[in-house]
Amino acid sequence: MKLINKALLLLLVATIPMMGCDTQNLHDLNINPQAVSEIDLNFIFTAAELGSASGGSAGDNRYLDWRTNIGMGAYLIQHLANAGGGIAPGDKYTENFESSNAPFEFFYGDALKNLSEVLRQTGPGGYDEGKKVNMRNAARILRVLNFHRLTDFYGNIPYFEALKGMDGVFFPTYDKQSVIYPALLKELEEATAAMNATNPNEGFSNSDIIFNGDITKWKRFGYSLMLRLAMRVSNVAPQLAAEYVTKAVAGGVMLTNADNGWVPMSEGPSVWINQNGISRAFYPGDGGQPSYLSKTLVDWLKAGATTAAEVDPRLMILSGGIAQWSANSWTPTNTNPLQQKGMPNGYDAAGLDLLEGRTVDQTATYSRINFLMLQRQDPYMLMHTAESHLLMAEALQRGIGSGIPGTAKAHYEMGVKAAMQMYTPFDASLIVTDAQVTAYLQRHPYGVDKPALEMIGEQLWVSKMFNWWEAWSDWRRTGFPVLTPTNHPAGVTNGVIMRKLRYPAYEVAANANFQSGATLPDLFTTRVWWDGGN
Amino acid sequence: MKNLLLLLGLTLLTALGPVVHAQTVTGQVTDQADNSSLPGVSVLIKGTSTGTATDVDGKYSLNVPGAETVLVFSYLGFQTQEQTVGNRTSINLTLQEDASELNEVVVTALGIERNVKALQYSITQVAGEEFTQARENNLANQLAGRVAGVNVTNVASGPAGSSRVIIRGNTSLQGNNQPLYVIDGLPIDNTQFGQAGVWGGSDGGDGMTSVNPDDIESMSVLKGASAAALYGSRASNGVILITTKKGTSRKGIGVEFNSNVVFDQINNQSDLQNTFGSGRFQGNQQTGASVRPTTVRQAYDWGTQAWGERLGSGNAMYFDGVERPYVDAGDNWSRFYETGQAFTNSISLAGGSDTQTFRFSLTDLRSNSVVPNAGFDRINMSLSTNGKFGKRLTFDAKVLYSNENTQNRPRLSDSPGNAFQSIFALPPNVNIEWGMGDPNRLGTIPVGTNPDLLNTWGFAEREEYLMTNNPWGQNPYFSTYQLSIKDIRDRIITSGSLKYNITDHLYISGRAGMDWFVRRFSSLTPQGTGFDRGGNISEGNRTVSEINLESMLAYNRVFGKFGVNAFVGSNWMRRKDETISANGQRFNVPFFHAINNAVIRNYGYGFSESGINSVFGSAEFSYNNFLFITATARQDWFSTLNPNYKNGILYPSIGGSFVFSDALSELPNWLSFGKIRTSWARVGASTVAPYQTLNVYSLLGAPAINFAGQNVPMASFATAQGNAGTIPNPSLIPLTSTETEVGIDVRFLQNRIGLDFTYYSQLSTKDQLNAQISRTSGFGSTLVNLGEMRNRGIEILLTGTPIQNSKLTWDVSFNIARNRNRVLSLIPGTEILNVEEPRTRTVFVQHRVDQPFGMLAGWVQKRTADGQPIFEPNGAPVQSDRMEVIGNGIADFTGGINNSITFKGFNISALVDFRIGGDIYSGTNVRLSQWGLHKQTLPGRLGEDPLTVTGVVQTGTSNGQPVYEPFNKTLTPGEAANYWGRMGDRVQDHFIYDGSFAKLRQITFGYNFPKRITEKTPFNSLGLSFVGRNLSILWKNIENVDPESAYSSGNGQGLDFFGMPQTRTFGFNLRATF
Repeated sequence: MKLINKALLLLLVATIPMMGCDTQNLHDLNINPQAVSEIDLNFIFTAAELGSASGGSAGDNRYLDWRTNIGMGAYLIQHLANAGGGIAPGDKYTENFESSNAPFEFFYGDALKNLSEVLRQTGPGGYDEGKKVNMRNAARILRVLNFHRLTDFYGNIPYFEALKGMDGVFFPTYDKQSVIYPALLKELEEATAAMNATNPNEGFSNSDIIFNGDITKWKRFGYSLMLRLAMRVSNVAPQLAAEYVTKAVAGGVMLTNADNGWVPMSEGPSVWINQNGISRAFYPGDGGQPSYLSKTLVDWLKAGATTAAEVDPRLMILSGGIAQWSANSWTPTNTNPLQQKGMPNGYDAAGLDLLEGRTVDQTATYSRINFLMLQRQDPYMLMHTAESHLLMAEALQRGIGSGIPGTAKAHYEMGVKAAMQMYTPFDASLIVTDAQVTAYLQRHPYGVDKPALEMIGEQLWVSKMFNWWEAWSDWRRTGFPVLTPTNHPAGVTNGVIMRKLRYPAYEVAANANFQSGATLPDLFTTRVWWDGGN
Repeated sequence: MKNLLLLLGLTLLTALGPVVHAQTVTGQVTDQADNSSLPGVSVLIKGTSTGTATDVDGKYSLNVPGAETVLVFSYLGFQTQEQTVGNRTSINLTLQEDASELNEVVVTALGIERNVKALQYSITQVAGEEFTQARENNLANQLAGRVAGVNVTNVASGPAGSSRVIIRGNTSLQGNNQPLYVIDGLPIDNTQFGQAGVWGGSDGGDGMTSVNPDDIESMSVLKGASAAALYGSRASNGVILITTKKGTSRKGIGVEFNSNVVFDQINNQSDLQNTFGSGRFQGNQQTGASVRPTTVRQAYDWGTQAWGERLGSGNAMYFDGVERPYVDAGDNWSRFYETGQAFTNSISLAGGSDTQTFRFSLTDLRSNSVVPNAGFDRINMSLSTNGKFGKRLTFDAKVLYSNENTQNRPRLSDSPGNAFQSIFALPPNVNIEWGMGDPNRLGTIPVGTNPDLLNTWGFAEREEYLMTNNPWGQNPYFSTYQLSIKDIRDRIITSGSLKYNITDHLYISGRAGMDWFVRRFSSLTPQGTGFDRGGNISEGNRTVSEINLESMLAYNRVFGKFGVNAFVGSNWMRRKDETISANGQRFNVPFFHAINNAVIRNYGYGFSESGINSVFGSAEFSYNNFLFITATARQDWFSTLNPNYKNGILYPSIGGSFVFSDALSELPNWLSFGKIRTSWARVGASTVAPYQTLNVYSLLGAPAINFAGQNVPMASFATAQGNAGTIPNPSLIPLTSTETEVGIDVRFLQNRIGLDFTYYSQLSTKDQLNAQISRTSGFGSTLVNLGEMRNRGIEILLTGTPIQNSKLTWDVSFNIARNRNRVLSLIPGTEILNVEEPRTRTVFVQHRVDQPFGMLAGWVQKRTADGQPIFEPNGAPVQSDRMEVIGNGIADFTGGINNSITFKGFNISALVDFRIGGDIYSGTNVRLSQWGLHKQTLPGRLGEDPLTVTGVVQTGTSNGQPVYEPFNKTLTPGEAANYWGRMGDRVQDHFIYDGSFAKLRQITFGYNFPKRITEKTPFNSLGLSFVGRNLSILWKNIENVDPESAYSSGNGQGLDFFGMPQTRTFGFNLRATF
């Protein structure tokens, strides 16, 4: 019987855990021991800042820039050219789904998602309601930056209902760009006004890797963004543009390169997060995207020069020459500014051979992006002062808004100077002296060689190296520089420069609100609202 | 080592407890007709469910409570006999065939053995020997074609890949739709370790690859909800019960030896154009011409373009800098793929005394894939014992150990490392062997290569020898010899149970079981790989354990004509899953691939834990052995759901069966047996992973670095990190599935013909969806309880024995099933739910309201209101504005025919299985067309038939509306090349194929040496057979690929994109006992 008793005991022991159905024990199993339910929102804000640069906080810091900023933007606006290799739908107007999808995934899904959570938890009902005021408003400004880029790429997008997945809005409706822009401008107005150095810091300085918590710089950043957005709608909504140009200038925009918005990058500790995504895309042995400059850009920088000194000093900053670049070495083979040569857009390798009448060794023939600007720890430029000056010059030239001090010419010149002298954060050697700037401005006097607006547009264009998608938006709005479209047989636009991104197929397929609210027809040649579309 | 383990096992056995003497009856059961032994005869102690079954030689051994015990001997198709034991220790008897009896015992839920008569649902049992002759690494694949209503998708993912087994259609829109596997009463883990998705990847295999077919006595498929209701939440997709072999009381030790050798060959279904070679169309689209590469740069850049000139004259330049004739290079597949081999050797020892039995087995499988440098090895050991202690206590325990070692699971779908794509992509004039490179490091650039070539390629010596300028299109040799994925799994499945008979009619039992494994995985992308020249390496360890404790109290009694069979019980399940991994990027010492040599190192840690508590009960009432009513109930509580809502669910079932052939006396004598059955059940499930109910945060893997060089911590959503992520949901409740089933089982002409027919209707509600939502919500998906889906279907099993005499028996079985599925609702406000997309990104697997599960939707050609196709002026098709439904990846009918003929010592069997309906979207054919390799791209080229398009073209707009004019154009070669490029992007219905097929799935031809020969040898029996699997596709409707080309065992079915080509297997099996 002893054995039987043992057996019964065993059965009893096996049964006990179920007796009373210990639901508390069961429930406790579902508390994740590796996560917390409240966190310092500054941590999320930092992730959003990094994500605004490269989508890096989402785990792939090169995906977005590689596919869209480089693959589309850099080629469409002819800063770069590509005769094969890498991702280059913008060179020959071919279709690449990822290039169209990437901003949709990484803006909504990374920076904007994190920013929305910051706003949710510092807003009504959140666990940090009413706290971290400066960080909250900095988040609102960054939110505008990400949203305007999105709507500029696609046209109509979900704005008011967007990013409310946590509140149960799974398929947001689409908002017209003409409605989104006034809302973005209003948001900037409120957010910049709400930031104040007297507000408690609450960890903002440490979390803010862009301005280190400097409220003055944040306000300049916010007002400069306001100026950009106001000017962007100036062709279709002049009154709105005038109103906000005035407000932006009154609030105080970026005026010196010390105001520029850079996001710091680093070699470590993780390759997928902190490294500069643009650099990674081009880096030999990593992305390996060809880094040849476009003939259009090189020719523009060399225009009118008969001596090396007359070449735009930016050429040898941006280029660094014709060079062999491997993961281990950068070996320039020709650094004579006059002999720099850009690759024409719209050719494949065989086409170049035909064009040149010989077998073209691309490495030995075409100028590359300067490797000093493509280091993985190089900072990422979000926004710069040159743009503010050039936009003010344009506003004065076109009579948009009021209260802008100085003349169009003065702002143009300040803009060019800022643009030439802004590259030192990439490398301390990338210096353009005041004398070089002055000489350049004397060679290219404002409004003399070309009409003033064209000169402003071209300067804006050249200043946005690395910020190619912005250059694309500027070009779509101003029409400058005047670009010659390419026409390759593989192109899908019949030789027309693309004017918007197509929406991702999964959105077309799944969101029932798409057909009723999106910018249609969903073609690369359809124009967004501020581009004269509707 | 193996001998040591064997010894250890034997020592353990002899040490097992005191031997308690009890009355034991042994004997042999034979067929009265021919004196042949009858294996599998049920020997039951009357009035209980205690009993055994005869072994292959018809022998049995059973402990009985006393001399008054009555033993019931029953066997399908034979008259049942009862024998009172008395003082006998040996009862031999012969059974007589009986047309009217049907008394087989089958194992049902929770290991309860029940009479088939009493079953109110459909159950199909497959004997273990079906799996041991012609083998599959993944046992589940062998169910294909054998069981009506069980749809097995052979996934094109290579050796040790996972399987997709769907019983009676998909019941969850998104969750796991695969059944629960139970080994000897213990649920086992069937985790799927990764699938290839839109961005590629490899199939990491699943839990079923651990199971050794040699250990299997039988597999029972519990198809309906009511069959599975007792397993509760985890059984909503059906249950597959695996019963392992046990030892038998006998003299001495019975030894069984099985040796199996099979060979594997690629079954090349490709039929590509070999008329035009590498090159591309050049210059003006109207007037330009196709050219061949004349420079290395061109050869390298055009590596996947077969739009060149007509082959046969002159030379061309090739990627490796060698000028060679521009001619067809022949069959690259046979150059690259090897003959795979698999050797399986298995030995088992079984025996025992009257009170103790044991069985030990050791199986060793070694295999090489048809893909070079890849293979799967497995060692299985199992030990099972049964003991009887006194009259009332029985104990059994078993340990199944497996060690699986998989080398280089093929990379599928998108290109990084996908050798299959690289091989397909070679233009016909390129010989794959030119890409072998360094003979000591295949696929790498040989040391001493001309620096000019290195410059052209942009690569250095020892780096990948790319055959094209696309760094993601791997050199196939590099992909197979240099890239590496390895995993090793050590797994122990162990259980023990005690059963105590309190009275003759009441017993209590307890069972404890554990499924535990460690999966060690590593992967290497070496330095110099095209898409990652720095290289990376990862190492990891995952430990999973699942513990089940079960207890049960059962009552079993017959009162005159009435019988009761009832039990209550409870189950406690806990599961833990922990992963530790390390990852390194770039290497300090060049080409030294060790994680401690990595420049950047990261670690990863994952942990989750979950549990289910359950109570259950069942009661069966019978009247006069022809009317049975059974009711069951089970309540589960889930740790993964929030108790503030509903974290538990009750699953009831009720059903009955009526054996009218026993109940009615006035039956025609051609009707041997007849039973009708019906049942209703509600089961449910919670498919959500742990920690999905709350929004929580976790720190990102690395801090940001500010301008001062300081670390700044970053955090994000724990469940929604990355650019998509899932929104957690605190109010999730279990999904439920309600099923009604009716069936009839009739046999005619002395059981020579049998028909088993089932109709079922099943409704899934409150499905737990991880629903893909608009990315503009900030998230990729959300967890919701929504959606309703219905499955209705019929299953027919026809069996026949056209010939049966003492020398020749011919058995035929035919099964067919039809499942109709309809999605009734999804998230309110949306009619569509995206499930999966292929790499082409132009097609989606979607659920659509009022349509079946898993529709394929994609862009099609735009048409005018009256249906005219619209073209661009250059003849390229214009793409539709929205995605249209273009197919469905799920088959309409599935089934199989199995013929088995026994003649004297010979036996031959052949299984043909088929699938009717269901579509495949072939991304492979899209790419082959775009690359100019598909035969359909020949028209329009120089010297070929013209390619003419007819439709309309837009000439302008009027009042905002497009104006179209008729269009008829014969395309120039350049336009034809452009046409196929655009077709591939824009017109996806062109690449939809009917997925129907019939395959000769298995054939065995064997000979059992007669006794008079074996008597002169040490063997008791000796059998030799020829076996073959997947020998031939009898019928298909898709070109260039196998209709079973799906690369994923997930819910996104019907997608082909460079999966691993299927293989043919054939070989020999030798079985001996002594």
